[in-house]
Amino acid sequence: MTQPFLQIKGLTKNFGGLRAVNDVTFSMERDQILGLIGPNGAGKTTLLRLMTGILKPDTGSVRFMGKEIVGRKTWDIVNMGIACTFQNMRPFRRLPIIANVMVSCLSPRAMKRGEWVKRLEAKAMDALEFAGISDMAREKASTLSQGDLKRLEVARAVATEPDLLLLDEPFGGLSPAETDLMAKSIKRLHKGGRFGRLHSEGPAMIIVEHKLQWLMKIVDHIIVLNFGTLIGSGTPDEIIKDPCVIEAYLGKGGI
Amino acid sequence: MTLILFNLRKLFTIIKNEALVLPSRVVVALFFLFLLLLPLFTEDPYLLRILTLTSIFAILAASWDLLSGFTGQMNFGHALFFGVGAYSAAMLNKYAGIPPWGTIPLGALGAVLAGLVIGIPCLRLRGTYLALTTLAFPIILMGIVFAFPDLTGGELGISGIARLARSRVANYYIAVVVMLGLCAIMWKITNSNTGIIFHAIREDELAVRAAGINTIRYKLLAFCLSGFFAGISGGLYAHFMRIAGPSTLEVSMSFQVVIWAIFGGIATIYGPVGAVFVLFPLMELLRFWQDYRILMFACVVLLILLYMPDGLFRWLRDKTEKECPRCKIRNVAMRDTCRICTASLD
Repeated sequence: MTQPFLQIKGLTKNFGGLRAVNDVTFSMERDQILGLIGPNGAGKTTLLRLMTGILKPDTGSVRFMGKEIVGRKTWDIVNMGIACTFQNMRPFRRLPIIANVMVSCLSPRAMKRGEWVKRLEAKAMDALEFAGISDMAREKASTLSQGDLKRLEVARAVATEPDLLLLDEPFGGLSPAETDLMAKSIKRLHKGGRFGRLHSEGPAMIIVEHKLQWLMKIVDHIIVLNFGTLIGSGTPDEIIKDPCVIEAYLGKGGI
Repeated sequence: MTLILFNLRKLFTIIKNEALVLPSRVVVALFFLFLLLLPLFTEDPYLLRILTLTSIFAILAASWDLLSGFTGQMNFGHALFFGVGAYSAAMLNKYAGIPPWGTIPLGALGAVLAGLVIGIPCLRLRGTYLALTTLAFPIILMGIVFAFPDLTGGELGISGIARLARSRVANYYIAVVVMLGLCAIMWKITNSNTGIIFHAIREDELAVRAAGINTIRYKLLAFCLSGFFAGISGGLYAHFMRIAGPSTLEVSMSFQVVIWAIFGGIATIYGPVGAVFVLFPLMELLRFWQDYRILMFACVVLLILLYMPDGLFRWLRDKTEKECPRCKIRNVAMRDTCRICTASLD
């Protein structure tokens, strides 16, 4: 029997009395791009943080390529092949941008792969090139704008060469033109191949995003969270017609 | 013959193009030369003694910088490593009869062990809490030292241990060469890939974990490396002073290290080393006014930090050198254009 690529079962997380993630169950395949949407405070970011081990779930299991990852340390999970970006960007502000990415390139996973690449800096540079900020490689990260920080986050995650990439609002703070570019980059990354010295096997992705019009173009499956509970799942076309989803976003009673 | 000439010419080119272009590099080269050639000109015992002690404390200050400046693990109990190094070297020498070249590395290994012992409980702590916890460890060890006066000599310490070397000049050379070597190694560590991870842990530990780096391992590595270098400095101190007493574990010792490092500029390695070479002889100079020595010392430190919050040597470096806005290579402040990419500097 083949294992599903990622399987989440009955995942629950409480913050005191607040149930942030409530009994979420879904699974995804290796070649999918999954969109995760929901109103503010729906528990999307919490769900991603549970999957990367930054937060520990109260109950439930997350199986990644047949292995349980609940209870593992964050760096183990990243080295198994799940990379994530942070919604509120967390760059190393006093380091040059290239050094920010080099930290990711120094992880055991990134060091093991790309055998013929000896030069860390060149690899980091290619990750920056992919994200489109290679021209600012020597600037301090504190000088970057919000949009560029977002791209730096993506570059850092991509540099670990993940099998599953969790993007938390990759379009946040980007202008429409930049969003287009980023969407194209993400699609290109999903197809796989080489970006200079950076090797991509076409990671599966989970994208949390509020800019639905762009999200719909990229993803092939969407799940909807509201108050920590899964309320909808389907292709983009199904989701925009789902009455439950419309109710969650626009409220009852309507126009 | 031509090969030798070729290599010599290559060496001169490297020196001319890489070393002599920046004031900071020239100063470092002069500093090395000064320390290594000084005994040729003077053998004044007082001066040599001061400079030997200065070198020993320079290792200590740089090792604090490696842990607290780079990795951001604020350690207010750095005297622990120094004391463990000094006491283990002294005890090994006195009770086991091991000569100094054996006791100092063994003492440093003892300090590495101490680094692990305090590093593991401190892994979850950060900032102020970490600082207060580490502050307690030397005090605890001092209590243990006082509890076993037969073994440790209690308040009097262990005296009568072997000399570092026979002559003063040999003592001086051992301290200075070890200092220069260890500081170069520390500087190399902080400039390597490991150094980048240390920097990143200081900036944002969670983000480093999310990049797939085992931060626990690197934090413990920082504690152990720092403990090792501080332990060597403690061992040198014990053998140079020929006594290892509870003064090596005092709180004032821990704070002195912090003052030195912040005075020179943290996260630089050269800053704390330079600061010790300024402040330690300054304390001796101020002896002419014995009663107010500490007060004047405090005034100097306060004034410097008021006007140069990043530390004396960072400030000096920023005044004499400019960073090229395009290629980020450092240039002499007098130049108009970058020496590499010829972009205009202003």
